[in-house]
Amino acid sequence: MKNTDDILSKMLAETREIPVNDHVPYAFEKRIMAHINEAPVNLWDEWAGALWRAVVPCLGVLTLMAVLWKAPAESKPGQSEGSSAPAVAVHESVNEDLEGIVMLAIDPENPGLGQ
Amino acid sequence: MDERPDKELIDEVLDGNTASFEPLVVKYQPRVFALARRYARRRDEVEDIVQTVFMKAYKKLSSYRGDAPFEHWLMRSATYTCYDFLRKHQRNREWNASDLSEEETDWLENIGEESTGETDREAAKSLVEKLLDGLKPDDRHIITLFELERKSVKEIAEITGFSESNVKVKTHRAREKMRKILATLAPEKYL
Repeated sequence: MKNTDDILSKMLAETREIPVNDHVPYAFEKRIMAHINEAPVNLWDEWAGALWRAVVPCLGVLTLMAVLWKAPAESKPGQSEGSSAPAVAVHESVNEDLEGIVMLAIDPENPGLGQ
Repeated sequence: MDERPDKELIDEVLDGNTASFEPLVVKYQPRVFALARRYARRRDEVEDIVQTVFMKAYKKLSSYRGDAPFEHWLMRSATYTCYDFLRKHQRNREWNASDLSEEETDWLENIGEESTGETDREAAKSLVEKLLDGLKPDDRHIITLFELERKSVKEIAEITGFSESNVKVKTHRAREKMRKILATLAPEKYL
């Protein structure tokens, strides 16, 4: 009686010796391209893609607005140090929050990285 | 054939030039066909697999990051698609001795002899396909990758998501199942 394991090994070895059949039917690529061109546009994918692409410009605008918002407050003349101190503290607090939001948007897994 | 680098073609496709995908199809379709023929026999099934592979690749092209060759990314996706095909078309056909062709019976009768002719190899391949038909998709997938595609345990682990030790165990078990099927398939006088 022959060992089935040896037979199986020989069977697999002979199968591997057969050259790989990589024949491609005539103009098969045209068929694929026709399917790609006919495929309906997935509006949800398009919308999601557009939203994703808009993330960086939105963050840029947000940061710019934050800078512009802070700058006039710091350069207001004629205000005593005592009266401006609470306002500056409020601004700093708001900016920290804003920074936190921006960092969360950039790196949701590690929002505290930039703080 | 378009000689431009893959990256250039991919960038053009992502910029909206769909036609730039065609050279990529022309370049890689022989490899995808060869892989698909390991998993399906009927011509229409093989063509459907290849078409699905390229359609998926086109749709998910933006997820290709370019840190590995495009061919690797594509072939990995092709392997997933082939496995999906196995799961959806699970047949688990059981063959018996009376289903063996004359060539297959001859191959089993002459197992101890030197047999390197094309007919012998085709008979061996046909027998292997019969054994694979009796395996579950998971087992068939792993045996195809390990024994026929000659992928390493590490590569199979990366493709399937199993740990390397799990791949080794599964490969061993799948081979055991093939051996048992062979024992029931082949008449006792040959074994």
